Order: sequence, then C-alpha cells, then structure tokens
Amino acid sequence: MAGEKNGATADPFEAFRKVRDTYFEGMSKVMIDAVNTEEYAQATGTLLNNYLTASAPFREAMDKAMVMALEHLSLPSRQQVIALAERFTNLETRLDDLDAKLDRIVELSSRPPTAATSRPEEGTQAADAGARSRQQTGRKH
Amino acid sequence: MAETVSLSNDWTVLDRKLKTFNRLMTTKAAIAQTPKELIWTLNKAKLYRYVPVVPAEKRYPVPMILIFALMNRPTILDLRPGHSFVEYMVGKGYDIYLLDWGVPGPEDSNLKFDDYTLDYMPRAIRKMMQVSGAKEFSMLGWCIGAILTTIYAALRPDDGLRNLVLLTAPLDFSNREQLTFSRWTDERYFDLDKVLAAFGNMPGEMIDFGAKALKPVENYITNYLKLWEGLEDPRVVEAWHSMNTWVTDIFPMAGGAYRQLIVDFYRNNRLVRGELNIRGELVDLKRLRANLLNVIAEGDHITPPCQSEAILPKIGSTDTEVYRVRGGHIGIMAGSGAHKQTWPHIDSWLAARSR
Repeated sequence: MAGEKNGATADPFEAFRKVRDTYFEGMSKVMIDAVNTEEYAQATGTLLNNYLTASAPFREAMDKAMVMALEHLSLPSRQQVIALAERFTNLETRLDDLDAKLDRIVELSSRPPTAATSRPEEGTQAADAGARSRQQTGRKH
Repeated sequence: MAETVSLSNDWTVLDRKLKTFNRLMTTKAAIAQTPKELIWTLNKAKLYRYVPVVPAEKRYPVPMILIFALMNRPTILDLRPGHSFVEYMVGKGYDIYLLDWGVPGPEDSNLKFDDYTLDYMPRAIRKMMQVSGAKEFSMLGWCIGAILTTIYAALRPDDGLRNLVLLTAPLDFSNREQLTFSRWTDERYFDLDKVLAAFGNMPGEMIDFGAKALKPVENYITNYLKLWEGLEDPRVVEAWHSMNTWVTDIFPMAGGAYRQLIVDFYRNNRLVRGELNIRGELVDLKRLRANLLNVIAEGDHITPPCQSEAILPKIGSTDTEVYRVRGGHIGIMAGSGAHKQTWPHIDSWLAARSR
C-alpha cells in the first residue's frame, strides 16, 4: 500500500524477471555461438541428408502410384499440369511482348514524324532486351 | 477480503491476457491496407501502383519501384495503417510501385535470378514508365531484392534508373566467419541437389527455420515472453500481431533461384568477384552508375554489415551514401523507430534526387 501511495506499485516478481532476463541474455549468446559452429552445420546437414535419403524410396513409390492412379482415372498428372502451366507462362510472356510493341507503335504514331525516327524509349528497350535475351537462350518457362 | 479481491483481479487480468494471446495466435492482422491498383501481371508476379494522395503538380516526377525478397511477402513495406513505409512515402508525394513476386508453384522451380532480372523486372519497369509517363525512375531493393536490383542496375544501366536504394543488401559473401548461413550451406554439409530434387522449390518452412535458428532464444522464447508482458498495451499487441502475420506468411523460394543463391553467392561470391553470369552477360558492377543509397542495419544477423559495405568501391556511381541504422534486418524498416530514422532519411535522400 505504501508503494501505491508513492505512485509506484511494488512488484514481487520484479527481481525474478531480472534474473530471468539475465539468464535468457546469456543463453541467447551461448545459442548464437552454438549454431555458428562447424559441428552444428555438420549435425543439421547430416540430419537433413538422412531424412531425405530415408524418405526418397517412399516419395518415389508414392509418385509412381499417384501417376498410375491418375492415369486410370483419366486425369492429368502433376508433371502434365506443370508442363501446361509453363506453356501458359510462355504465352503470357509473348502477350506482354506484344503489349510492349503496341504501346511503342501507339506512342510513335502520336509523335511528329521527325521525332518518330529518333531513338526508342528506354522502357520499351528494356522489354525488348528482355525478350531478345530470352529468345537467344531459348529458355523454357 | 482484500486478498480475495486481489486474487479475483489477477484472474481477470490473466483471463484477458489469455484471450488476447489466443486471438494473436489464431487470427491474421489486417496488413497491406494502403490503397493500390494492379497494373501488370506476369505468371505469379504482380505490379501494383499505390493510389497517390498528393496532387499531381506537387508530386515528385520520378516514380519509385519497390522490390522485396523472393521468399517473403512484400507486405512488410506496407505493414499497417499509421506504420507503413509505403503510406509514408505516398504521403510525401512519391509515385510508388510495388513488384510482388508472388508464390512460386512447382512449375516455377526453374526460375532463376536471370529470369527475375531480365524477364520480369524490365517488363514491370516498362509498365511503370508507361503508366507514370516518366523517363527516369528510382528503385528500392531489400534483402534478396537488393541483389536483384543491383544485378539489374549493372546489366541495364541505360534503362533510366536514376536512384538506387539498397536495404540490408547481401552482396559480398567473402567474410565467411561472420556468415552463419555460409557455414550451414557449405557443400561439405548441405546437399543442395538432394534437397531440390526432393522438393523442387526450397520449402518456406525450411527457410523460416533457418532464419529463426540464427537467434533461437529470441525467436522461440523471448519474443513470446515480451509479448506476454505487453499484452495489456494495445500498441504492443497490434504491432506484434501485424508483424506476426507477416512473419508466419511463409512460402517456398523458386528452386533455380535458391540454387543460384547458394552456389553463386554463398559458396562462390561471384557478384563481387566479377564472375556472375546472368544469361550470358557478365555482371560488371562498374556499370552501375545510378545514385546509390546503401542502408546498413548495424544489428543485422541475417545480412551482417560486412556483406553490404564492400559494394561502394566496386561500383561506377559517383553519388553514393552509406547510411547506418541501429536495428536488425527487418526492424530498420518495420520497427517502432523506422518512421523516425530510416524512412525520413530515405525520403530526404530521394527528394534531393527526384526533381
């Protein structure tokens, strides 16, 4: 009560909190150092590697079973859907190229003839350059 | 009698705190509320334009595009009303655009930095320039977004990029002693091929665990303890809720890009060594000539300052500035002090270069 009258409430847990915070601060430094060691990197790497090795046969069996099941049901497999999605992205990219070219045509046609023969816009160049480099490498999305 | 009343009050407080805690853990906060319109899409990528609130004649004529990392939502740039970098910059008169990479699906497992920087970014920027009618633009890249923007700026120096703002940019991977991720992804321990063969894309849960495991006590214990102690303070609760909403919204990173991040950057430091090849083009940092503001978080455990500091002597820009901020990887832009330090500095730096 006396504490409250003075404007401050006595908190019996304050000392406990200080001890706790100090403990966690120390613990934090220890843990940061621990995860930053070669041993930790090796341990987590080994754990992950073992998990992937052990689960690989099950994943492969599951994939094969799923492909067969979908085939029996006349449904597309995951790989076929992925191939379709990649084709959609390719189409979208081509549409974007067309969009860029149309924008350029509209812009050039709205300019006086002398200006139309000058250098193309940077933005259009960028899209064209992107399209060119994509075509050169023949990358498939 | 007094003890009974006190005990009853304690139970009431405890009950209220538990309810608030439960709400924070089981609901999503309303984040990314600044009005925006979708102006371009390609595959999962979307380009948004934030609705200007300043009259056109008072706005800066140079638009700015924001580019965030590949494995988290860019909503951190527009966290919550009253505490949003985007809202702040729109209010200051900037024409702000945001490139959201979206969530890669299995069909995107081959996407690489090459595709992001040479297919997606030039197209999004073209659209931004068309919508804004500007001839030059500013670009802000954060974390892996800073790698992408740096590569783009070096590969396409004549595309109209005037100002480049890099936030916590992981560009130099030479100081392996300070890079915990370098140690974890070392080829002696981490079988990258096996991971990507199993998952296609790098699972968001694994990336999230990696980021949190850098500071396990803070992320798994003290974060929740501090929240518990602040549960009676609405400001603490709302700030925590919105941040937790963003942090827990995890998704995979495209396998091709992840492979490049590990092999080209973490293991071989190819960008700074001048050996990074993007679709047949060597990335020469000397070709980066845009005005550069390099924002470094002094307490960053994900991108230690040594990763961002080495860029300046390597680039061709003449107008450069390094701005060091006290804070962590995310805190410098989304923490409680961001609106007093980082945002005003970016604004003042850009304002002088956006007329």
